[in-house]
Amino acid sequence: MSLVFKDVTRRYGDTLALDGLSLDVAPKSFTVISGPPKSGKSVLFRLLVGLENPDSGQIMLDGRDISSDAPADRPVGFVPQNFALYPHQTVAQNMAYPLTLARFDRAEIARRVDRTAGILSITHLLKKTPDQLSGGEKQRVAVARGLLKDASIFVLDDPLVGLDYKLRERLMDELKGLRDELDATFVYATSDSLEALTMAQHLAVIDRGRIVQHGEADIVYHQPSHDRALDLIGFPNANLYDGMIEGGRVVAGPLTFSAPAGARPGRIRVGLRPEHVLIDAGAPTTSGALALPATVTLVENLGGEAVVYLDCAGHSVTAAMPLYDAPPPKMHSAVTLTVDPATILLFDAGTGARVRSGEPMPLAAAQEALQRSFGTHG
Amino acid sequence: MSRIREVAYYAGLWLIALIFFAPIAWIVMSSFKTRTDILAVPPKFLFSPTLENYEALFSRSEIFVQIGNSILLSLGAVIIAVVVSFLAAFCFSRFRPKGTDFLMFLLLSIRMLPGPAVILPVFLMYVGFGWKDSHLWLMLFYAMFSIPFSVWILKGFLDGVSTRFDETGRVNGGSWAHIIFKVVMPQVRPGLIAAFIFNLIFVWNEYLFNFIIGGVNTQNIPYALMVGTYADGGVAWTFIATMTSLYLVVPVVFIYLFQKYLLVGMTFGTVRGEV
Repeated sequence: MSLVFKDVTRRYGDTLALDGLSLDVAPKSFTVISGPPKSGKSVLFRLLVGLENPDSGQIMLDGRDISSDAPADRPVGFVPQNFALYPHQTVAQNMAYPLTLARFDRAEIARRVDRTAGILSITHLLKKTPDQLSGGEKQRVAVARGLLKDASIFVLDDPLVGLDYKLRERLMDELKGLRDELDATFVYATSDSLEALTMAQHLAVIDRGRIVQHGEADIVYHQPSHDRALDLIGFPNANLYDGMIEGGRVVAGPLTFSAPAGARPGRIRVGLRPEHVLIDAGAPTTSGALALPATVTLVENLGGEAVVYLDCAGHSVTAAMPLYDAPPPKMHSAVTLTVDPATILLFDAGTGARVRSGEPMPLAAAQEALQRSFGTHG
Repeated sequence: MSRIREVAYYAGLWLIALIFFAPIAWIVMSSFKTRTDILAVPPKFLFSPTLENYEALFSRSEIFVQIGNSILLSLGAVIIAVVVSFLAAFCFSRFRPKGTDFLMFLLLSIRMLPGPAVILPVFLMYVGFGWKDSHLWLMLFYAMFSIPFSVWILKGFLDGVSTRFDETGRVNGGSWAHIIFKVVMPQVRPGLIAAFIFNLIFVWNEYLFNFIIGGVNTQNIPYALMVGTYADGGVAWTFIATMTSLYLVVPVVFIYLFQKYLLVGMTFGTVRGEV
């Protein structure tokens, strides 16, 4: 079932929650919408399930605009951010709720509840009431209830938030399994970019009410088309510097390197993933690699890798280094950073759109991007 | 030390409780005494109980009508009040129409005047419309007096029920009626019971308006007590004692059964409701 958002706008007073958002959700995909809190994820979902109506724009389901349909008439199941389990009903009654309302017969309800309870391993909880459950159990029951609606699209609004790491990992796997079993479209919101990368088949990055990039998770990670996509996806956070292109050279933060062919002089934003900052890697292997002296200011040892925060000529730099063959550097020690300019990403300083090396953005496209950008700042 | 304090604490509480309970004990005991025993000085604690007073009471046929009226008026008025208040409070809590705060204040202002202050206009209105001596219109008057407090109690409770519950109901195809009565109502049961009890006590104890805008058909127990106090050239102590003892049964039973909710109602509703 194809799901398309077209120029959807939603305001609350003076606040623009969704700013002409467009998104094409692939049928039967597991699409993750990732963005910081307040970026519009929950609003988007409320519009999709029908709790609110957009101020303008359309939500097309199989080519039909459903944006003003009653929630009951939409084939959309919903797992809200907080569980909202009915305290006066048992777990089984809570789970059966969507089917009871849809007047399924008892045997069928029992069959579906049992099956879903089995998949989420909550069969032993069916006779309990919500106040007897732990946080993780409640969350699973809420997921089960959302998924038990007879629907073809399921919307999950950050359902794993606040759970401990191990339980999250397990539930992530279970959710993916459920997607395959139900053969339905899952739209899943999270503000955790690692969770987004883990879960996503398709990843849409939302920021300030707009989708900044949408595509396969790998592509979004390695080829961000917008500086916000680079900034929001990935851990540790990417390095971003404002700089200038002058005389064929890019100068931004601690980085100085030859501008790509065709890059126009002027302001520019430069992004660099932490894993592309190498610490004391010896002689550069690629020609033109930058060698930068830096001081270690903080080391976070994560076991398999370390996140190293450095000071490089007055600019802060974050590096991620694997720990399989070398110990992490000592605090306050002097190190040499190696950066391959090919791994550096350039973004338009005004629009935030990616500037591909060698192919500067066409003027018309740049202007259009500027018009569609988040206001005039930046 | 703390042991002594604990004993003193409970002794104090018992003493206060007994002082408050003494008149009730006196009236209930009196209902089983003869008129002479009731008025004996010093008061008699040991006496031979008699059911004569109750026999005399039940031989008055109007008594059954009056008890029936008390029950009918109280239950009817309170049920109307709680249903209306619940729906009003739901609307105020969920849809927050423009001026909700002002409307809530306006509602409460009905209770800011003591009842007797409005008795004349109410009386004239009831006479003018021909509503006097009617069960229905008396019930509606009591409901009008009970609604503000109930709305305040129930809005407090409804505000405590997350709108996520409503949304879950809506997303799964529930109608508003379904959400109001099946999703939200079970979660505010303590509030409903608290509102019910508070208003029941109010209507059960109401005398003035029953006397003024009621009539022969709608006489309730307080009316009977008031009118029956003087008989045969003196205070009818046996009548007062028996009637009062019966009169006490309903509130005592309800409060005993629902004291938990009464407390909840007091902490949530009363504190805000009587500011």
